[in-house]
Amino acid sequence: MNKYIALVGTNTKQSTNRQLLQFMKRHFDQKAAIEIIEVSGLPMFNKPADREVPQRAKDIAKKIDASDGVIIATPEYDHAVPAVLMNALEWLSYGIHPFLDKPVMIIGASFGALGTSRAQAHLRQMLDSPELGARIMPSSEYLVGNVLSAFDDQGNLTDKEKIDQLDALFTDFEKFVKISKELWHTTDVNRVAIKKLDHEDFG
Amino acid sequence: MKLVGIAGTVEDKSYNRTLLEFIANHFSNVVDIDILSIDDLPMFDQDNDITNSGAIQYLNRKISNADGVIIATPEHNHTITAALKSALEWLSFNVHPFSGKPVMIVGASYYQQGSSRAQLNLRQILEAPGVNAIVFPGNEFLLANVKEAFDENGNLKDEKTVSFLSSTLQKFLKFVKVINMMNDKTGDDGEAENEDLTASGKIETTIEGVDMTADDWVEKAAEKVNAVDGNTYVKLDRGILTVDQLNYFLNSMPIELTYADSNNQFIYYNRMADAKKMLAPRTPGQAGDPLANVHPKRAVHGVKAVIHALRTGKTDLVSMPVPGNGPDRFVVHYYKAMHNADGDYVGINEFVADLIPTIKWYLAQTGQKLVADPNAKVDASTGASSNDADSKTDADTGASEDVDTPEATNDGGDVDATSGASEN
Repeated sequence: MNKYIALVGTNTKQSTNRQLLQFMKRHFDQKAAIEIIEVSGLPMFNKPADREVPQRAKDIAKKIDASDGVIIATPEYDHAVPAVLMNALEWLSYGIHPFLDKPVMIIGASFGALGTSRAQAHLRQMLDSPELGARIMPSSEYLVGNVLSAFDDQGNLTDKEKIDQLDALFTDFEKFVKISKELWHTTDVNRVAIKKLDHEDFG
Repeated sequence: MKLVGIAGTVEDKSYNRTLLEFIANHFSNVVDIDILSIDDLPMFDQDNDITNSGAIQYLNRKISNADGVIIATPEHNHTITAALKSALEWLSFNVHPFSGKPVMIVGASYYQQGSSRAQLNLRQILEAPGVNAIVFPGNEFLLANVKEAFDENGNLKDEKTVSFLSSTLQKFLKFVKVINMMNDKTGDDGEAENEDLTASGKIETTIEGVDMTADDWVEKAAEKVNAVDGNTYVKLDRGILTVDQLNYFLNSMPIELTYADSNNQFIYYNRMADAKKMLAPRTPGQAGDPLANVHPKRAVHGVKAVIHALRTGKTDLVSMPVPGNGPDRFVVHYYKAMHNADGDYVGINEFVADLIPTIKWYLAQTGQKLVADPNAKVDASTGASSNDADSKTDADTGASEDVDTPEATNDGGDVDATSGASEN
């Protein structure tokens, strides 16, 4: 059974993205072990000269390192990823690189009908940067719009079509994780390139 | 023209800040640029709204008052920094200072790419409905290989780069003018009309259950809240007075004071004289009235605009000379926004003064006299000027229409545009 780390891309207490991840954790518990992790509580990234990364970021990095893949649920603020998630990704690419070659699946829930499409594209762009270097599952946008009516009292998705879509996507993701293990030919060069970036005072 | 510059980073040392400082210094003869810091802002958290904190209110006021904004952004992970994004989230949550504001994006980076992806991303964020900025199209200014770009004095070394920057900035200044002209034509943010002059709302200090319009509102309201009077001590910032002493003090002020709270209720004036002898007459029965009751209908639009400008931080002070008092008087109504320690708007301090005695005394003391300036463009007799207020606020107040009307030229009472209690 594969182990996945699921990042909640927001710090708000009432988050439908957290709810969506909790649903996935229960729904797929026969297939996979999903651990949900909060990204809030990290200090604002200020590129400290001593390159000291907060312990909490190191802990998250360790868990990602030990996982088979990462699922990120992002809301959309101002047509983009929330600052709190961007901040976590900055710490998680400053001298440490847990995302390098890590398979990532992006999902998102929103109140409106559009369901975080712009934030997901933004997140893809970030994860694709050399400092993060994740392997993002292609053609796999999963959006849940109008979330206020999407879950029942138990926090389960109500729309059968949405559940079927999620099932199919997750099956594909598991396959993608497997295939990704064979995409190792660039790993060494990427590691060298990223070490070079680390030695320069980028930004 | 007045711009603000924001460096999109909280790093101690930033080439983007250096770039902004260079722009501010090098072009100081064409434009005034005030550089703002986002260092003190915590991470955006919608569960813990700190919109009213000094740090956010400061940025809100500065940006609102500026004609335009320049943002210098670094690029981290193909996008802008979390610190800049967080600041923009605060400034698009419960306040919206970027709305309708012309913004130019520049960026410096260590590599060839400049900060192209971050700039594109920032553009998209600024154009989101909550931010609603008007981003200067085209004219991307990317400063690549920034480590080599500046000399030891923080000046850009390459002349071609400076001249490109200069032409970009000149175009932006034109853009700012055009956009602001457009904004003026469509009025302000359109929210001024939502000011409720009937004071039907309620704030923490509103005294409920007493008829605001009653002549004895002061007595009844005082009874209701057990207001202290006489020789009871009141602790103030900074000192202690009895209520009697407070009254002696306020009633002997050389200015007429009026307090209108943030619920648009007229709750106090310093009764220094009978209404007939006041520059802006108020009568004892008016204390407690909603602002709607103490203004003529035709002044309502102007009153709302002034309150809204003060409430939203567009300006801190609106000054209106009131003509028609003869050559021996120059009466000015000042409307000053009041804020609590958190920077929240709490109401208006209106003070009215006749400046002529001060001017005469000054002339006598220094042996000078007033001579008309043949080149002056100011037409003092038409009123409605505002010193701290930007020209937009000035235009929106509409107060000049009011003061030009003949019935306004007797004692200034009914031109009282904001918090006054004129008898009409």
